[in-house]
Amino acid sequence: MQAYIIRRLLALIPTLIFASLIVFVTVRLIPGSIIDLMMTQNVSATEKDRATLEAALGLDRPMYIQYFRWAGNVLRGDLGESLWQGTPVAHEIFARLPITLELALLALVVSIAVAIPIGVYSAIRQDTAGDYSTRSISILMLAIPSFWLGTLVMVFPSIWWGWSPQIKFVPFLQDPLQNLNQMFLPAIILGTSLAAITMRVTRTTMLEVLRQDYIRTAWAKGLDERVVVLRHALRNALIPVVTLIGVEIAAVVSVAIVLEQIFVIPGIGLLLIDAVSQRDYPIITGIFLVVGVCVLLINLLIDLSYGLIDPRVRYR
Amino acid sequence: MTNAATKPSTNDRATRVPSKTRMLVGTFVLALATSAGAAVAQGPKPQYGGTLEVITLYPTLTALSWDPADWVWKNNHDTGSYYEQLFSGDLDKSVRKGGKYKFFFDGWLPSAAIRGELAERWEWKEKPLRVVVTLRKGIMFPDKPGVMKSRELTAEDVAFSWARVDKSPKKIAGYYDFVEKVEARDKYTVVFTFKEYNAEWDYRYGWGYYSAVVPKEIANVDSRDWRNGVGTGPFQIAEFVPGNSQTYAKNPIYWDKEKLDGVAYQLPFVDKIIYRTVKDEATQLAALRTGKVDMLELIRWNNVDEMKKSAPQLKWSRYLANAGQFLVMRTDQKPFDDIRVRRALNLAVNKQEIVQSYYGGNAELFAYPMHPDFVGYYEPLEKMPASVQELFTYNPEKAKKLLAEAGYPNGFTFKVQFTTANFDHVDLLPLVAGYLEKVGVKMEIEPMEYSVFLAAMTKKTHAAGYFMLLGHTNPTTVIRKSFVSGEMWNPSMWADAAFDKKMADVFHTRDEAKRQKLIREMSVEVLEKAPHLWLPTPYVYAAWWPWVQNYNGELRAGAVRPGPIYARLWVDQEMKKKMGY
Amino acid sequence: MTDLADRALPRIARERSASLQFLIRLFREKPLGAAGAVIFILFLFCGVFAGLLAPFGVNEISPINRLRPPSAAFPLGTDFLGRDMLSRLLYGARLSVIIGFCAAGLSIIVSVVIGIVSGYLGGRTDMITQRFVDAWQSFPALVILIVAVAVLGPGMPQIIGVLALLFGIAGSRIIRGAVVSVREHMYVHAAQSIGAGTAWIVWRHILPNVVPLVIVLFTSRVGAVILAEAALSFLGFGVPPPAPTWGGMLSGSARTYMYQAPWLALAPGLCLTIVVYAVNVFGDALRDLLDPRMRGSR
Repeated sequence: MQAYIIRRLLALIPTLIFASLIVFVTVRLIPGSIIDLMMTQNVSATEKDRATLEAALGLDRPMYIQYFRWAGNVLRGDLGESLWQGTPVAHEIFARLPITLELALLALVVSIAVAIPIGVYSAIRQDTAGDYSTRSISILMLAIPSFWLGTLVMVFPSIWWGWSPQIKFVPFLQDPLQNLNQMFLPAIILGTSLAAITMRVTRTTMLEVLRQDYIRTAWAKGLDERVVVLRHALRNALIPVVTLIGVEIAAVVSVAIVLEQIFVIPGIGLLLIDAVSQRDYPIITGIFLVVGVCVLLINLLIDLSYGLIDPRVRYR
Repeated sequence: MTNAATKPSTNDRATRVPSKTRMLVGTFVLALATSAGAAVAQGPKPQYGGTLEVITLYPTLTALSWDPADWVWKNNHDTGSYYEQLFSGDLDKSVRKGGKYKFFFDGWLPSAAIRGELAERWEWKEKPLRVVVTLRKGIMFPDKPGVMKSRELTAEDVAFSWARVDKSPKKIAGYYDFVEKVEARDKYTVVFTFKEYNAEWDYRYGWGYYSAVVPKEIANVDSRDWRNGVGTGPFQIAEFVPGNSQTYAKNPIYWDKEKLDGVAYQLPFVDKIIYRTVKDEATQLAALRTGKVDMLELIRWNNVDEMKKSAPQLKWSRYLANAGQFLVMRTDQKPFDDIRVRRALNLAVNKQEIVQSYYGGNAELFAYPMHPDFVGYYEPLEKMPASVQELFTYNPEKAKKLLAEAGYPNGFTFKVQFTTANFDHVDLLPLVAGYLEKVGVKMEIEPMEYSVFLAAMTKKTHAAGYFMLLGHTNPTTVIRKSFVSGEMWNPSMWADAAFDKKMADVFHTRDEAKRQKLIREMSVEVLEKAPHLWLPTPYVYAAWWPWVQNYNGELRAGAVRPGPIYARLWVDQEMKKKMGY
Repeated sequence: MTDLADRALPRIARERSASLQFLIRLFREKPLGAAGAVIFILFLFCGVFAGLLAPFGVNEISPINRLRPPSAAFPLGTDFLGRDMLSRLLYGARLSVIIGFCAAGLSIIVSVVIGIVSGYLGGRTDMITQRFVDAWQSFPALVILIVAVAVLGPGMPQIIGVLALLFGIAGSRIIRGAVVSVREHMYVHAAQSIGAGTAWIVWRHILPNVVPLVIVLFTSRVGAVILAEAALSFLGFGVPPPAPTWGGMLSGSARTYMYQAPWLALAPGLCLTIVVYAVNVFGDALRDLLDPRMRGSR
């Protein structure tokens, strides 16, 4: 198992080098550079200022030199500085990553709470009206664009009842209630849209497991339905579900970009979209790197968790 | 204003908002004018305390920089309530107090609306040409642990601040070429020695974008870190949550007072102001509607009816955007090198109908290049020569005839670039395309992300048609930046040596009346030669709850600087409670 | 599908009767899925014949008629520029369905190619490919899209291409998993031992076994792609206006007038939701029917 973990961690290295190189180069290829932006924000600037600004920002060096310098700093734990604000990129990212993670976590909790019971239920009652209606509802949740739902819950309650969600961000540790007051709506919207996928995977794997011989044996023994389903079947059906949750983490960041915008949550999604539109290269690259490492590590943890759920799993 | 000739002119930056936001708010830059109400009757007694929550004119943009030496336009907006400047808008002359100024413009203060802020007085001296500025005495910097102990502001700070901006590696070349040197002559006197007169001298360094006066101690700390910001202003920066909020706390030893009914009140009134950064328009409106914020300074006209219905107690002001919009035609390319084609396109669009049915009356047919608020520089359409007036009438027949004369009897197709960052343009452009199609002119529309759109212009690789919003800034800059050859913000590629020369003359002219005359002539010239398809300028709204008092919709008392305005208003907390918020 | 017994039957007849039988099973056993299929085909039809069905032109502007509520003249009302919503929805069906189909189809090709190369060849090729897939998957999809659209410029082909790549690489894992398990089957080893070429084995043995998976993957992708385009439109990176994609119709002024003119957002929102719902239930039904492990389960 240790050897397995070490091997997996080593495999991260080429992946990250490769990914960082692509990102580093790509963001600098986006037309409309930060220099263009800096120039146009002052109506007195002229082409003469381009070189000055490039030099001031260190963007006048050949790209490969910029990359090696950046990569060298990353190895020393320095992600560089924001080109606009001059603040350390690591500081910006680590101030905001936890906020998105909190949203993701809340959404996952919501999605699991919704998806697993429905998935199990519709598997046991396959092709009944109950199966159809619960599944339909969860697929509908997936089919409604989250920005649209987000706008809806922002606009209508404010007109009908004079209520709108909190827009002042308060960290969870400082005041959990206020924090949740802002987070619960996006978490529900995000969670229910994730739930559809989780639900379907749960249902499929449950169907498969329920046909296994040992389940038939359990039924034959006359065991209570609840025992059969929960103790025997669900446990075995969970592995693909857990894998899926790993995949969903990266997807959460995508949806978070939209929801953070509507609900004024200063998370990593908002930081990223700002950085892209401001062409703040070190921040974009930093976010890709940090989110990438997080997702890869989470996937590793998930692989390891198979062993906990299913003792038959062995790591090679 | 002692010195007459001097004043102002101002200007520069204009318009644009940087990046961010590509999305949202397309209306960047807006601005403007008009406010309605006349002097508000003096009502209730001032109240101290409370918090003012504002979604400002730049609702979607988090702070881009905290260091004035970064040469970032929005700095003034974010640091302008703790860093002060030599001059600012004289809010005692606002409409609210019975004056005639509205204080909404992003880069323009009429000469008579300027007062000394840190400066007590200033005077011109000749040979060499210089301005001698005498500072107010007794202005204090507050204590800032880790940065400085409380102490009095001196002329050294002013000279130091100037030098920092002037020596910044990000400085725009040529911006301060008219200045020879800046020296502190004694504790309260600073002398600005000029190489030559510049009509925008006070705008460029006095009340402009890069004019903040910082303490010398900033040199010893990381000046880019907001935690190190400390100034002589009415508030001090207290907290910054990027992408969410900026909080400013009252400076208890602020020097200025507000006179109301003969009584002088210590400023500021409120304990705290919070700027909220909210990207989504629906969220901004919901926050105002439910009293989560006290003011929203930027509301597009299309949201106003619904807001008035769902929150009838809101108070409103309406401003004419301080940015023009138009379809720029590249005059260095066919077919737009022919004035007949450019005029034909102007005639082919029913601008009156756009004002009436698209904007529902919330727009002005004619407000560019001179904004109606540029008093002395602006002339209404009725006073324009017939050749200019004609361009604002709808005459598709004549348009077709002109096109035929120019060799395009069957029209032509051209490419138009625009940015999806501007909501309004997403709708407006198809409308304009519809009109042009009726005279046989077809558009190939190319939407662009905001920065890409701008880059096309800076590199001059933009298409023959370029649909844009461009700030008025101030009377001299609006002409200079778009119609002087080689300028970055000159997308029509206007190039006329005689015109360039005239512009240079304007900058050197000390007599404002003479400058006004020159600018009026130049405006007529560009209008009738029609390098742009001139389109109406929309109105924009600002709204606030009635518990925000001593306020009437003023937006800026310097270049994008609302700080002095917020220092003067107060929040009637009892009324707020009584109204259920 | 690997059943050799009925090889004697004429191939076409066999396939026809098989698909007919399949249809009958679909309707009999999975009425919900069948309904999904019918709805989807209906939308497809509307999109294809939008030119005939639409009462007005897609960009026919009429400022006088702006923001009209649904009426006899405009069954679904008009938008901010007085354009007929019904007409725009019909044309929108064409765009959204094209985007959904093309991007989902291309993504499947990407998935199958990567999945088979990686899964069947195994070894070092597999290792390297999988690291690449890992790296790719660690980036949030929307972010890749935004950067890609910024680099390539907005436009339908770009969006289809990027969405295809995005979903294709993500889906390759699933195909690879299936390929790996098929690879170990006796008949594959048998084919290898008699010296069959790689291409032939892939074509004859591997591919047929992943077909059910491909079909299921495809249906779920169609919905996902349509939704992704909508999210991009919201962020301003979608198919550029005035093209009437449903996502585009939902953002912009539909959001501005959400309360005053709810029909602006309701109609495209419902269409989007219904289509995504339809392809998903159809996909579920297909999976239940096609997955060999599920055959005969009920």
